Amino acid sequence: MWNRKRANSLLMLEVLLAFVVLFAVSSLGVSLWGNYRTPLGFAYQQVWAIDISTPGLAGRAPRTEALQRIGQHLRATPGVLCVTRHAGNTPFANANNTGDVSTGTGPDRRVVEPVNYLDTGPELRELLGLHMQEGRWFDRRDEAANYRPVVITTDLRDALFAPGQSPLGQTIQGPKDWHETWRVVGVSGPYRPDGALHEPVPGVFLYASAQDTVHALNGLLVRVAPGAGAVLEKKITDDIRTLGAGWRGTINTLDEQRLSQLKVNLSLPVILGVVCLFLIVNVMLGLFGVLWLNINQRRAELGVRRALGATAAAVSRQVLGEILVLTTFGLVLGLLIAAQFPLLGVFNVKASVYLTAMAIAAAGLYLLAAGCALYPSRLAAGIQPAVALREE
Amino acid sequence: MATTPPSPTAQPRSFSQAASSAVPVIQLRNIEKIYQTKTIETVALSQVNLSIGRGEFVSVMGPSGCGKSTLLSLMGLLDEPSGGTIEIDGRPVASYSDKGLAGLRNHKIGFVFQSYHLINDLSVLDNVELPLLYRKGVGNTERRRRALAALDKVGLNARTGHFPAQLSGGQRQRVAIARALAGDPEIILADEPTGNLDSVMGEEIMDLLLGLNRDQGTTLVMVTHDEQQALKTQRLIRFFDGRQVA
Repeated sequence: MWNRKRANSLLMLEVLLAFVVLFAVSSLGVSLWGNYRTPLGFAYQQVWAIDISTPGLAGRAPRTEALQRIGQHLRATPGVLCVTRHAGNTPFANANNTGDVSTGTGPDRRVVEPVNYLDTGPELRELLGLHMQEGRWFDRRDEAANYRPVVITTDLRDALFAPGQSPLGQTIQGPKDWHETWRVVGVSGPYRPDGALHEPVPGVFLYASAQDTVHALNGLLVRVAPGAGAVLEKKITDDIRTLGAGWRGTINTLDEQRLSQLKVNLSLPVILGVVCLFLIVNVMLGLFGVLWLNINQRRAELGVRRALGATAAAVSRQVLGEILVLTTFGLVLGLLIAAQFPLLGVFNVKASVYLTAMAIAAAGLYLLAAGCALYPSRLAAGIQPAVALREE
Repeated sequence: MATTPPSPTAQPRSFSQAASSAVPVIQLRNIEKIYQTKTIETVALSQVNLSIGRGEFVSVMGPSGCGKSTLLSLMGLLDEPSGGTIEIDGRPVASYSDKGLAGLRNHKIGFVFQSYHLINDLSVLDNVELPLLYRKGVGNTERRRRALAALDKVGLNARTGHFPAQLSGGQRQRVAIARALAGDPEIILADEPTGNLDSVMGEEIMDLLLGLNRDQGTTLVMVTHDEQQALKTQRLIRFFDGRQVA
């Protein structure tokens, strides 16, 4: 087998190609599955996002006042449990507001990017059921704070502060052009408003009081009682219409937004998956073809082996064994290439994702090679020595 | 019911040791071989009854297409007859499983082909070791020792690392004979072993085969077109149109 360099090189190339495709598919699959299994960090059921349109109100102050009026009205509405102002990047809205966050100065400066900026009112914790890990959530004490109070997520804490260092009471800086310094009052669990398939991004909740007219908090999030549906939805939109001339509220449940986002986010992986499946089928056909050709070219040799005492099973085992040895060589080459991904941190994907993908791709490759070799090996086992020797 | 021959770990001569010397080593009874396609039926052998005694050197002659090679394939258990029975050491081969037949071929029979049938990707030594590769209980060292001894017998122990493509036709046939000898078989079936060689080389190979028969008592059945070589053997069988005529 070692002396059939040309034929074996072709087989190893096929194997290498198959591994590359399997590795790509596995990496994507493992990454998405890992993201999907990671908790979102909040409860989205019975939460509605209301996009408010108030034509004719120019500037943030009158608009803030309008939102306050609507919010007060909603709080008094039966079936509404909790209301908070929120910027446009509500969960699953396919909208984000990201930038960097830093701490320290000079050589001790640490910068984390990207970070989700989440401008929100103090009711968000109760509304989304956020879990605090350290410190506290926003409360009335924050209205008079010197620096804007913020709650950071655990992943931002881990990236920004040294292990064992408490972030509570520490100041951190927002993006340079904002010229803002924030004081950390609490640490929440991970929060993933970008959805289940999106890579988790560290987040910072930025406090906005009810009277805040500086920051753009143009939407409302509402938690409604279980079972609330179309009737409450209609009442809310009707009420908003009556509160101001031309005012309009558009309601989307987070459940609907989540499903809609999931469909959009899944479309690319599905398309890629189909393309990769097509590639794998092509590689399989190629591998099968090369093996089939290889066996046909070796009919006389296999006939001689049969004549000299090889059983049909031994011939079949030999063919399978040779393929698996070549697969191992192709795999080693493929692993050398694949190992560069975690080493170089390509696409900012965790090394564990690549390592798992490498293991899955390797197992898949052996299955694929054995599957492709099964029929040719049976073909080899079925060679009649008298016929094969006569053909020569 | 299909059976398996005695343990392949036994010594090479185990089959013959078990057989009585009075029993022919190969016995063909009413052998028929018909190749059938959708439209044509070709009778390759018809009503062949043949007995090869232990230690005999038999040559088979006949025009091309008369069934000589088919006869050798059947004797070598490479093919199955359409009718009749083949017995090796008095036992019908139809009673053996695929594994059993492979064991018989491996332990008892050595093949020498007109076109050598060496594996070009393997060295001379690896080619000669091949039959022992399929024999259980023969380790690497023993395999190598026996292959070298076989190559020594054919005078090619200086060419162990060469590949078949680097050898002349006569040398290749010597390697093929060494391969047949490596397993120490009781029977050697040679299908026109000198057919591709010039007369000098042919004589050398023939002398080698005669020596094997004379010195080791190896049973030899040789298909040949060469009357002179055939006359050197103990018995000459002639075939014509699939039938034994003499």
